[in-house]
Amino acid sequence: MDKCQFCGKQATVHMTQIVNGKMTAVHMCGECAAKHGLFDKEGLPFAMLSTIGEALFAGIKKSASMNGLICSKCGCTPMSFKETGRLGCPNCYKDLKPLVDGIVESSQKGMVHSGKVPKSRTTVEVEKALAADKVKCGDGVGSTGRKVGKRGSVKGRVGDLQKMLDEAIRDERYEEAAALRDEIRKLKK
Amino acid sequence: MNDFAKKLFQNSKSVVDAIPVVVSSRIRLARNLADAKFVKYACKSDLRMIADMCIDALAKCPILSGSNVVAMGDLLEYERTSLVERHMCSQEFTANINEARLLFTDDQLISIMINEEDHLRMQIFRPNLNFREMFDSINEIDDHLSENLDIAFDERYGFLTSCPTNVGTGMRASVMLHLPALSILKQMNNLVLAVQKLGFVARGLFGEGSDSQGNFFQISNQQTLGLSEVDILSRLSQIIKSIIDYELNFREIVKKERIVWLYDNIGRALGILRGCYSMASVDAINCISLMMLASDLEYLPNDLRHELNQIMMKMQGSHLQVLANRPLNAAERDIKRAEILREFFATVPNLKFM
Repeated sequence: MDKCQFCGKQATVHMTQIVNGKMTAVHMCGECAAKHGLFDKEGLPFAMLSTIGEALFAGIKKSASMNGLICSKCGCTPMSFKETGRLGCPNCYKDLKPLVDGIVESSQKGMVHSGKVPKSRTTVEVEKALAADKVKCGDGVGSTGRKVGKRGSVKGRVGDLQKMLDEAIRDERYEEAAALRDEIRKLKK
Repeated sequence: MNDFAKKLFQNSKSVVDAIPVVVSSRIRLARNLADAKFVKYACKSDLRMIADMCIDALAKCPILSGSNVVAMGDLLEYERTSLVERHMCSQEFTANINEARLLFTDDQLISIMINEEDHLRMQIFRPNLNFREMFDSINEIDDHLSENLDIAFDERYGFLTSCPTNVGTGMRASVMLHLPALSILKQMNNLVLAVQKLGFVARGLFGEGSDSQGNFFQISNQQTLGLSEVDILSRLSQIIKSIIDYELNFREIVKKERIVWLYDNIGRALGILRGCYSMASVDAINCISLMMLASDLEYLPNDLRHELNQIMMKMQGSHLQVLANRPLNAAERDIKRAEILREFFATVPNLKFM
């Protein structure tokens, strides 16, 4: 009978996961499994909760642009992400963009959302947001299974994506640029 | 049994027929409010406000009318973990219970975690496989939610989540498969590697002894950004369908090539289930897995399959404690588990090998 890898008691939880093509088996007692929160960490290695941030952080290319980043709304920094493995608030996606892009690049194949958009966005909210110039592209069109709201036009979305593409090329974010290019091609079909 | 246990057990989870190979499937959406800190950084009063706002908005959704809301902090530890065993919430949700609430429908097929690591994690569960119908239902709830609350969304990143590995659709779909023939014929490694190459994650659950190779595998999507919900679900369904075909074909091979082995193992497993007085959960799972196979192959009545799914859930550690209405240590659980299995399998008819 296997022993718990953490405390040596009899293991009652046995899990197998494939990470980067390598099979890992973990044996734990129930207490240690609960303590390490090893369940339901989809898509992530068998990292313990506190080290998920480190694992994600280690996987990204660090650049000078990362220094001094801080979210103006919640105060989250790349270091606090490293500690917790979680961002602080939705605004972190704007203020900590280099960090977020690094993590997205290393953990996702796609770079641009092409799924559904919140229902309200396709109508009133988008108009409000546009008026306040908060949202750059406003029609909420995904490339597949897409919903087109009142303002929805493929042309508008292509224009917005083109702008994002230009920015990405300017900043030498080529992987993102390639994804944006593909998204534009799909829409133009 | 206390009130919580009664509520939990009075509703048999399955309203749909069980099918061979697929044990269950699940779609989960992660959502956050636009103007609030993510859970890990929010203070108690923020979390309470978030919970109230979410529950208010969800209560108005027609699909969810008459749903139950339970504050995780009001439950005993084993009651919380029994919800994990029923696939109604995540393990993490039972550990960080600060203002954590669970909303669930009477049939327990839809459950919504409030203040898990994201403000909302909404999931739909089925004891078979029908992604289209499942997505329509969860999507309806999601639409209702975004009409009533300002949901964090970005044109490029999609739905914003507290961990950037979930952005985009914020959707995880997973299917739990029972693959005894693939396991008997030692094809599991090939399967998991193939699944991984296709960009999905395969995870073995309930490993058997030292080789950690149980008969149950969970397959889920890894990518959440750059594909639409429909794309992800149709790719996953295609993969699942081909795995089902493989498994069914391999069962025919096992019947041809390993028939004595098969009869012997199924026969012994039933003997163990009928005669046990102390049974560890891993051993129970392996025996029940063979009974599921026997039922699929019609050595046992076909309609037993649904009851086997139920007994598999009920013999898990926290369920045993809910039934006993007190905490049990590992040895006590093994005895209680054996008692339940012995009683159930005494009523199961004898095997009819062809």
